[in-house]
Amino acid sequence: MGNTPRLLGLLWSAGKGIAAAVTVMRLTQRMIPAATAMVVGLLMSRLTVHGTKSFSTMLVPLAAFGAVLFVSHAAETFVEPLAYLTQQRIDGAHRVAVTRLVASSPTVDVLERPEAQQLIRQAKADPDDYTQRTPGQAALAELDQAADAAGAAAACLVVAQFSWWLVPLLLIPSLACVRLRYRQRLESVMLWRAQLGELLRADRWQEMLTSGGVGKDLRVFGFGDWAVRRLSRLHVARSEPMFALWKRHIRGQLWIPLLVAPSLLLAITAVAAGTVNGHGSIATETAVLAAGASLFTMFGSGDSALTRLSGLEALTAYDELAGLFGKHTRHPLPAAPARTRSYSPVRFEQVGFTYPGTTHAVLDGLDLEIRSGELLAIVGLNGAGKSTLIKLLAGLYDPTSGRILVGEGQDLSELGAEAWRERISVVFQDFVKYQLSAADNVTLGRPGVPDPAVLEAAAQDAGLQPVLDRLPDGWETPLARSRTGGVDLSGGQWQQVVLTRALYALRTGAELLVLDEPTAHLDVRTEFEVFRRLAEQRNAAGVVLISHRLSTVRQADRIVLLDGGRITESGSHDELVALGGSYARMFAIQAERFQHGHRHAIEEDELL
Amino acid sequence: MRRYLALWYELLRISWRRAPAATAAMIGVCALTIAAAAGIALSLRAVIDASAHGTLGTAVAAACVAAVCYGVTVTLQQTTWDLFQLLLDKTNGELRPQIHGWIAGIEGLDHMERTDFLDRLEGARDHSWQICMSPWQLVMAVRSGLQLGLMLLILGAVSPWLLFLLLFAAVPLWFDHRGKQAVLDAETATAEAFRLQRHLFQLGTRADSGKDIRVAGAGEELVRRQAAAWDEVAHLRYRARMRAAGSKFGGWAVFACGYVGTLALVAYQAAHGRGTAGDVVMAVTVASGLRQTVQQVVGRTESTLATRTAIESYFWLRAYAAAETARTVGTIPAPSRLDQGIAFEHVSYSYPGTDRLALDDVSVRIPAGTVVAIVGEYGSGKTTLVKLLAKFYRPDEGRITVDGTDLADLDTADWRSHISAAFQDFGRLETTFAEGVGLGDLPHLTDHERIARAVREADATDIVKCLPQGMDTQLGRELGGVDLSEGQWQRVALARAVMRGEPLLFVLDEPTASLDAPSEHAIFERQMGRARQLAKSTGAVTVIVSHRFSTVTGADLILVLDRGRLVESGTHAELSALNGGRYADLYGIQAAAYST
Repeated sequence: MGNTPRLLGLLWSAGKGIAAAVTVMRLTQRMIPAATAMVVGLLMSRLTVHGTKSFSTMLVPLAAFGAVLFVSHAAETFVEPLAYLTQQRIDGAHRVAVTRLVASSPTVDVLERPEAQQLIRQAKADPDDYTQRTPGQAALAELDQAADAAGAAAACLVVAQFSWWLVPLLLIPSLACVRLRYRQRLESVMLWRAQLGELLRADRWQEMLTSGGVGKDLRVFGFGDWAVRRLSRLHVARSEPMFALWKRHIRGQLWIPLLVAPSLLLAITAVAAGTVNGHGSIATETAVLAAGASLFTMFGSGDSALTRLSGLEALTAYDELAGLFGKHTRHPLPAAPARTRSYSPVRFEQVGFTYPGTTHAVLDGLDLEIRSGELLAIVGLNGAGKSTLIKLLAGLYDPTSGRILVGEGQDLSELGAEAWRERISVVFQDFVKYQLSAADNVTLGRPGVPDPAVLEAAAQDAGLQPVLDRLPDGWETPLARSRTGGVDLSGGQWQQVVLTRALYALRTGAELLVLDEPTAHLDVRTEFEVFRRLAEQRNAAGVVLISHRLSTVRQADRIVLLDGGRITESGSHDELVALGGSYARMFAIQAERFQHGHRHAIEEDELL
Repeated sequence: MRRYLALWYELLRISWRRAPAATAAMIGVCALTIAAAAGIALSLRAVIDASAHGTLGTAVAAACVAAVCYGVTVTLQQTTWDLFQLLLDKTNGELRPQIHGWIAGIEGLDHMERTDFLDRLEGARDHSWQICMSPWQLVMAVRSGLQLGLMLLILGAVSPWLLFLLLFAAVPLWFDHRGKQAVLDAETATAEAFRLQRHLFQLGTRADSGKDIRVAGAGEELVRRQAAAWDEVAHLRYRARMRAAGSKFGGWAVFACGYVGTLALVAYQAAHGRGTAGDVVMAVTVASGLRQTVQQVVGRTESTLATRTAIESYFWLRAYAAAETARTVGTIPAPSRLDQGIAFEHVSYSYPGTDRLALDDVSVRIPAGTVVAIVGEYGSGKTTLVKLLAKFYRPDEGRITVDGTDLADLDTADWRSHISAAFQDFGRLETTFAEGVGLGDLPHLTDHERIARAVREADATDIVKCLPQGMDTQLGRELGGVDLSEGQWQRVALARAVMRGEPLLFVLDEPTASLDAPSEHAIFERQMGRARQLAKSTGAVTVIVSHRFSTVTGADLILVLDRGRLVESGTHAELSALNGGRYADLYGIQAAAYST
C-alpha cells in the first residue's frame, strides 16, 4: 500500500515533535487494555494466593492500577488537542495546495469543466457531509490503525499466557468483523461518490431557491411549491440507493454474533475449565478474559478504516486534479524577452475558438489589431463572441486555431499567459467581490506589494471618493456585512471599486485596459463620467471597451464590429456610419427613437 | 428548553413516520445495548466465582451468557451507526424541503436583503443533518444515563459504598462541561476568520471568479491570506483545546482517585471474606464501563456549536416565516380585468436596516390600459416601485390600490397569478431551457407550443438554435449543461415573463440592459404591441423601467423619479416641453450622444 508512507509523511510534515508526541500517546492509549488486564490479574493473584490476612500485599497492584488509570486519562485527554493541531496543520497545507494548484493553472477551460468542480469538491478537505474526511484525519487514522495493531498484539501476548491457540481463536473472528465492516463502509463511500452529481444538482436548486433573482421569479410565477417538490425529488433520488445499501448492511451484520459468540464461548470455557482443573489460576483467567474481550472492542467500529479511506479520497482527488490541470496546461517557454513600450500590443491572426464540448465555433478566422494609445470599442450582437474574445485576449482560453501575437510579434502561448497578464488589466461583467477591505479589493488587481500612493491616485482617477466617504473605516472597511465592521456596497458602488482596481493596475504597470460592459447598470450621467475617465487613460495605455451603448461607443477612436465570429467592420464612428453597414444600421435604430420618436417600426429581417 | 423538546418530538415523529421499522429497531438496539452491558458484568463475575469454586457447569452456563452479550455488544456498535445514518437521511429528506417551503412561502422579499436572515438560513440549511441528529443524541444520552443507573445498582449490590463513585463521576462531568465551553467560545471567536478562509478558498477554486484572479495574478496572494486565516483559526482553537484538556484531566484525576479507592475497598472486603474474587472483577468491569458511560453522557448532551447554531437558526427561521405569514391578511381575489387602474397614495418605503427613503411620498394614478415608463438615475427608486406593485414589500406609509381595493387586502397568490414580470436581477434557473421558460406559467410547464411562442416573443429563437439539445438542453455549466451569456439569460427571463396569457400588470424592469441594439429594439416593439393588446383585452397596465430614454418615448405616461421622489410625470411631449425639467435634461444628454 503506497498510501501508508504518504499518510505517515503527512503526519511527519505537521511537525516532528508533535507527530512523535501524538504517536506515543496513541500507542499508550492502545496498551491500556492489556496493561489493565495484567494489573487486575496481579491483583487477583495476591487476593487468591495470600488469603484473608494480607490486604497490604494488594497495595502494589492497586497502586499500579491507579498508575495505569492516570496514564490512560492523561493520554486520552492530552492527545485530543495535539491530534487536533496535527490535523489542522495537515489540512491547512492541503487546502492551500488545492487553491494554489487550481489558481495557478493559466486558463479557465479546465476549471469550468464539471469534473474539475467535482474533484475540487472532493479535494477541498472541508467536509459537507458525514462521509467525507480530510487528509489530516486520514493521517491520524493511519496512526490509529498501527496503534490498534500494537494494542491487539499486546492483548494477544496476555491471552497467550494461558495457551497460544487462544490467540487465533479470538483474533481471527475479531479481524473478520473488522473486515466486514471495512467492506461495508467501502461500499457506502463508493455509492456516495457515484452520486455526487445528484448532490450537486440538489445543492444548486437549494442555492437558487434562496437567491434574490430566483426568489422574485418564484413568487411572481408561484412556482415555489413546485421547486420545493423538485428539491425533495432530488433528495429522494439520491438517498434511495443509500437506504437500500444501509438496509442490506444491517442484515449483513447479523452474522457478527455468529462470529464472536462461539469463539468467545470456547475461550471462556477453556480458561474456566483450566482454572477448575488446576491448569491455570484465577489470576490468569481474569487477565485472559479481560484481554480477550478487549480484542473485539479494540478495533472499534471500523471508523479508522473508513476515515483513512475517505480522507485518502481527498488526496486522490487532489492527484486527479493535478493530472487534469497538468495535462491541459501547456508550459510556456521560459524567459520573456525584455520589453519596450513601442509596440502594437495585440494582434489576433485567424483566431478560431470553439468551447469544449460544443461544435459551434464562437470565433472563426478573426483578425484584429489592438493598437497602443487608442480607445478601441468592440460592438456586436448578443452571443457574437465579444466576451469570448476578451477571455482569449486575457489568455484564459487558448485559441482553437490561429494565434494571438502580443508585444513585438510574440505568440501569446509562447510568452505564457502569466507574463502577458502582467501587462493587462481586465474588468469582467461578473467581477470578483472580495470579502476583504476596500484597499485589498483595489490592490488585489495587481500582484506585489500594495502602494498606498498609487492607491489614492487610482481612486482619484476613478472618482471613488464619494464611495470611500461612506465607508466607516475608509480604506480599511471590509466590503461585506459578514465581516466585523463591514458594509455591503450597491452594484453601482461595486462597479466603481472595480474600476479603481483596473486603474490601479494601469498605474502599476499594466499597458492595456479591457472592460466588458463596465456601465451596463449605471445611469446616464455616471456612464458618461466613467467613459470620460477611461478616455483620459488611453494615452497611458490602450483601452478596449465592450458596450452595447452606441452613444458612448461612438466616442471611441476606433470601433470594430464582431459578427459571425470575425471582425466585419472597423473604423471610426463617422467612417462606419458612412460605410452604411451593420454598425450604421444598429446606430440608426438606437438613434432613430431620439430623432423621430419611437413609432418607426422596423421589420425584423432588416435588423439581423 | 420546551422548544427543543417539541422539536425533538417532532423529528422523532418524522422518523417514525418515514421509517417505522428503523426507528423501532433503533430503540430496540438502545435497550439491548444496556442489557448486554449489564449481562457482561454479571456473567463475568459468575464465571470467575464458578471457576474459583470449581463448578464447571455453572462456569460454562455463565460463559454462554457472556459470549452472547459480547456478540450483541460488538454487533450493535456497528448496527447503531448504520441505523443512525439511515434515520438521519430520512429525517433530513423532510426537514430541508420543509425549511425551503417556509422560505418560499414568505410573501415578501425583505428577508433576501437581511444578512441576519441569510446567516440563519446558512446555519439551519447547511447543518440540517446536525438538527436531525440532535434528538438521537438525546436518545443516546438517555440510553447512557439508564446504563449508568443500572451499573450503579449492580455495584451497589456489591457494596453500598460503591455508590460514592457516582459523586466522583460528577466531578469530571463538571470539568468536561467547562472545558467544552472554552472550546465553544474559541470556535465562536474564530468563526469569522474561518469563514474568510473558506471564502478565499472558494474564490480561488471557482470558475467564475477564476478569470479575475488569473488576470490580476492575485492567486498567490489569495493563497497566502487563506493560509494565514487558517493558521490563526487553528492556533486559537488549539490553545482553547489545550486549556480544556488541562481542566478535563483535573476532573478525571479526581475520578481516578475515587475509582482506585473504591477498588481498594472491594479488594479489602474480598480479602476479608466479605466478597468474592468475582466481585473485584465485576467492579473493574463495571467501573471502567462507567467511565465510558459518563463520557458518553457528557459528549452527547453537550451539543456542538454547529448543532446549537443550527437549531437556533431553525427556530429563528420558523418564527420569522410564521410572523411573515401572520402579517399576510389579504383575502380578496384579484379582479379579472382592470377598470379604473392602479393608484399610489402617498407611498413611502425604506429598506429594512436603512434610514434612507427608497420611495418618498409617491402619489400617482395609473389608468387601466396604460403603458407606464419609469425613468430615473441609479438608485432613484424605480425598481422599488415595481417591487411594491408585486407585493414584495409593504409600503411603510400610504397605500397602493388596484381598482380601488388596497393591494394589501388582495390575496397575494391570486394577485400574483394575475401579473407577470421580468426583473433586472432575474433568476437564472439552472434547469432545462424549456422549464426555465415554462415556469412562467406553471399550468403550462410542458406546453411546448406555448413555450415556443414565448421564446419567439422574447426574440430568443436563435438561442435555442445554438443549444445542443434544443429546448431540452440543461442550462448551467456546473451541472454539465450549457452556460448562457448575460444577454441570453435575460431573454430566457423575458420569455418566462410572457408565458402568462392575460396578466393585469406586466412589469419590464430594465428588460434589455444586456441586449444589443437590434434585439432591444425588436423586443421593445413587440412588447409595446403586446401591451396595447393586453390593454384592450384586460385593461392591463404595463410598466417599463429603464434608464435608456430612447426606449420610453412611446409610453402613455412617464414617471421621473429622483432619490425616491416622483419629480415629474406626463407624456414624452409634455415632459420634453418642460424647460429645465429633469426629463428634458437627461433626455437631452442621450439624444445629443446619438445626433449625427
